[in-house]
Amino acid sequence: MASVTLDNITKRYEDTVAVNDMNLEIRDGEFLTLVGPSGCGKSTTMETVAGLTIPTEGSVHIGDREVTDLPPKDRGISMVFQNIALFPHMDVYDNISFGLRLRKYDQTEIEERVERAADVVQLEGMMDRMPEEMSGGQRQRVAIARAIVREPEVFLMDEPLANLDAELRVHMRTQLQRLHRELDTTIVYVTHDQAQAMTMSDRVAVIDGGALQQVAPPLTCYNEPDNLFVAGFIGSPAMNFMEGAATDDGFESRYVDVPFDPAENGIEPDQSLTVGVRPEDVYLERDQELAAEPSRTYDAIVDVLEPMGDEMFVYLLLDEDVEASAEGRGAGQLLVSLDPDTVIGEGEEIEVVFDRSNIHVFDSDTGEAITHRLR
Amino acid sequence: MSDVDADAGAEHPDVAAQAAATVDEPELDRGIVEGWAARMISNPERAYRAAFYVATVFFLVTTLFPFYWLFMVAITPRGSLRDVGVFTPGGVNLAAFIEIFQRIPFHRYMFNSFLIATVATVTVLIVASLAGYVFGRLRFRGRNLLLLGVLVTSFFPPAAFFIPLNRLFNANVDVLRPILSAGSLYNTPFAIFIPLSAIYLPLSIFILMTFYSQIPDGLEDAARVEGTTRIGALFRVIVPLSAPGVATAGVLTFITVYNEYFFSSLMTNGRPGNWAPMLEGILRYQGQFEVLFNLMAAASIVAVLPVAILVVVAQEKIVSGLTAGGLKE
Repeated sequence: MASVTLDNITKRYEDTVAVNDMNLEIRDGEFLTLVGPSGCGKSTTMETVAGLTIPTEGSVHIGDREVTDLPPKDRGISMVFQNIALFPHMDVYDNISFGLRLRKYDQTEIEERVERAADVVQLEGMMDRMPEEMSGGQRQRVAIARAIVREPEVFLMDEPLANLDAELRVHMRTQLQRLHRELDTTIVYVTHDQAQAMTMSDRVAVIDGGALQQVAPPLTCYNEPDNLFVAGFIGSPAMNFMEGAATDDGFESRYVDVPFDPAENGIEPDQSLTVGVRPEDVYLERDQELAAEPSRTYDAIVDVLEPMGDEMFVYLLLDEDVEASAEGRGAGQLLVSLDPDTVIGEGEEIEVVFDRSNIHVFDSDTGEAITHRLR
Repeated sequence: MSDVDADAGAEHPDVAAQAAATVDEPELDRGIVEGWAARMISNPERAYRAAFYVATVFFLVTTLFPFYWLFMVAITPRGSLRDVGVFTPGGVNLAAFIEIFQRIPFHRYMFNSFLIATVATVTVLIVASLAGYVFGRLRFRGRNLLLLGVLVTSFFPPAAFFIPLNRLFNANVDVLRPILSAGSLYNTPFAIFIPLSAIYLPLSIFILMTFYSQIPDGLEDAARVEGTTRIGALFRVIVPLSAPGVATAGVLTFITVYNEYFFSSLMTNGRPGNWAPMLEGILRYQGQFEVLFNLMAAASIVAVLPVAILVVVAQEKIVSGLTAGGLKE
């Protein structure tokens, strides 16, 4: 067990900057997820911790040790890879014991440890199988056993579930959480899937363009996103955004205006603003008592219904002349998540309200959040 | 004539084909060749199979017939060498296979060649593995230039190197005096396997580079995280996974060095104790007044055995190495 500290890490390739001045402290025993879109630098960040990439600038500490220039084998880490990366020429036992054999542990201890690790991931009786004879999930479990058998100080997991099918992914997600509880080790987890980040982590580090956007517990990222990127990235389906400007008595945009007192919310008149409302914070006018703090009503026309079973996504048009864009998320459109039993028909004219206690206001120019609850 | 025609007509598959074609397209009246061609066009598999057999038989005859002929010459008694026919020996005398070892220490010549080839193969595989790793898996400035340099050296005719190397190896070097009796490399195995290893290195580098570059990065990363150095990852993971490529490079090097004559004959004085190679031994059966063709043939067959055994053992790997190459993850 150890903490991991990244100080001013920058990684530059010839003309691109993969990671830009990253400062991140991963606490001892924490499950921290690095999440962001493809190519945002999250994998490079993890590779600098693993030692597979040497940062251009900055330093990496694991525990109290500076490891910036140490090779991966001397860092006390283990890693699970996206492509699983079992050694195809070795059976399960040899794969799991590879690291121990390299470190010259004695035979009985190796056997004991391998058995224990195999037990944790439920691999009993498969010790002499070759990787090619196993299913994706089994291989992934072998990879995890190989990582835990050395009892490292830090686990690194680079999209370990990306190559599994959906059902297995959900199953392995709970397995990993259980594993974290049992091992009580620091885990750094990389994924582009915000659902995995939300469900498993103690804290989530949202990365975009090689820079850290927000590091916080999942629900904080969800409820109080620091900026527009985090607000749009965390949560599925994504938040509704409306671009407009502040006036003397609130927010005004082409289709939606939200009255509030600018001074009380720390907003200057004429400031250009983006207002964000999550689909689940929009209610039908007739159900407005469900909202903690209902806003004024807005007219809308039901465009498309998407019943999901446990909830129903309703795409609304805020005006008759709005042209529905292909993704259904353009200006003048609103995505609402409603109870699946709601009686509503396509083309119907309805009225909706927002929950003012969950209206997010961002500065359009900087992208920074101004408030997450209108006063 | 008419008998033959009738026979052929009854059994020849092409006629059957023609009959089948006639059923399909009754308005066409095709000859035998035409029917055969139509059949080939409608079923290309058949044409491929026929071409395959023709090519295989041609290849087998051209490669194996010389061995058959060598064997016939070898078992013919010396006096009857004139009686060797195209397919029949002039007599039977298996004693030639024993006589080759009695007349000169042919086993020593073979051992020399075998040892030189083995050392050269091991050297080439180790150096080419490191070079192949660097060229195949690392990106660095000047990579293409270096690779071009390797390629260019492999284009030089080996004979161009001979005179400078011969001068060099004949020079007495004082530092070598304690290790080598004369202080020069002439008449030592070093004089043979050093230039040969260098000359056959580029081919192996190219073979191994191709194989090593196809091993997924994740496997090397995994090995390094698990506790190997880069070189450890190379020899514990990348090389074993490239076994077909390594076997191919190794066998090609072994065979070429084992068969090599130019350098090995000129870098020694031809005495078995001075590391003269197997070919030098075969030529020793050629005296001033007579040429013992039967012994030369017998020695040639014996000399082929180590390589034949090696190829049979490594065959599976070599075949997959030459055809496929690479590893699916």
